[in-house]
Amino acid sequence: MLSKHCFLGFLVTFFLTGETETQPNCDSLKPQKVHFQSRNFHNILHWQSGIGCTSNSSFYTVQYKIYGEKSWTNKESCSNIQQVFCDLTDETSLVQESYYGRVRMNSMGIPSDWVITKRFTPCWETKIDSPFMNLTRSNQSLLVSLGAPNLPDRAPKEKTMSMEDYYELVYRVFITNKFLKKEQMIYEGTHRVVEIEAVAPHMSYCVVAEMYQPMFDRRSQRSKKICVEIS
Amino acid sequence: MATLQRPANSFLKGVMTASCLLLIALWVQGGAAWPIGPHCRLDKSDLPSAQVTNHTFRLAEEASLADNNTDVRLFGRHQLFRGVNATDYCYVMKQVLNFTVEEVLLLHSHRYQPYMDTVLSYLIRINHKLNHCYIERDDQNIQRNVQELKDTVRELGESGEIKVIGELNLLRGLLVTKCF
Repeated sequence: MLSKHCFLGFLVTFFLTGETETQPNCDSLKPQKVHFQSRNFHNILHWQSGIGCTSNSSFYTVQYKIYGEKSWTNKESCSNIQQVFCDLTDETSLVQESYYGRVRMNSMGIPSDWVITKRFTPCWETKIDSPFMNLTRSNQSLLVSLGAPNLPDRAPKEKTMSMEDYYELVYRVFITNKFLKKEQMIYEGTHRVVEIEAVAPHMSYCVVAEMYQPMFDRRSQRSKKICVEIS
Repeated sequence: MATLQRPANSFLKGVMTASCLLLIALWVQGGAAWPIGPHCRLDKSDLPSAQVTNHTFRLAEEASLADNNTDVRLFGRHQLFRGVNATDYCYVMKQVLNFTVEEVLLLHSHRYQPYMDTVLSYLIRINHKLNHCYIERDDQNIQRNVQELKDTVRELGESGEIKVIGELNLLRGLLVTKCF
């Protein structure tokens, strides 16, 4: 009696698993790990293909919305694509807003369910790269030229603001020399050229910069350190 | 008769003058303190610190993971300021903040620690500062918008309260732009 049951159980399992192999169910089609990756406010939606669904006939479609909107918007350039990422920078350009993205896969005419990201707030989640920095000598002062990492262009009506103001980023400049025990922050602000005055002759100075998000007290990686000797 | 009438007349004049002076005095005094009312504004020194901001976003992030309702939003410009004068936006925020603190956050003050502690004590302080401000105009639109918010939260029950917590970063943004 018992062995009969076992055999029946085996048969049922065998046929069930056999079936899932020949005809993939919607769950296995679903894209996996749908999430935003954000760097310097470039917001890219990434995902992975569903289990065992890496065939050439897999196409993905992406939609997005601002949190609170009733309907989703198609991202036209990410409709029926085979790549596993989609650039939503323009669609998510209000940096303190909250957004959602979602993806579904279409394989041989069968669409999977949508897979949705967690709520995404660009200013909170983006990682800011180090600034560009250059150093020039002019008589008894040093000129530090600063440039923000590659930030997305803003919509035309927001162009009146500087890049730094729009993204609420400031530069920080630090200096060291052999007499300073610790490096000193000599500048924090949005100017792209900073003059370091009253540098002593025959002394070498090293300067380094970082981007800073005052809102969260967050700093980027440092720029390359540049050292100069004052003649 | 004429002699009798004159003092009565001058007495009346005196009363009239005194009343006018009193009225003017009241009007001047009232003009400064009453018809305009203390504006709903916050001082720059009350801006949320980086730590409060960080904890606010962290708190909102954690709570929003439990909120699957993506098409209902509580703290948004379109919902809260519909039909309201721009000058009254901070007054709206006062009402919203009061509801958020007293009827939602205090009920959940044990959750999402340690972020809740930082954020709640900041919001209680701000709520207290805005406590006494008011507007003289008819605030029917404002009351309707705020009531709509309250109704939505109550209809959603506990998940509405979690939604409020998940939107605290948005509340922060609105407070900062409308009240400072």
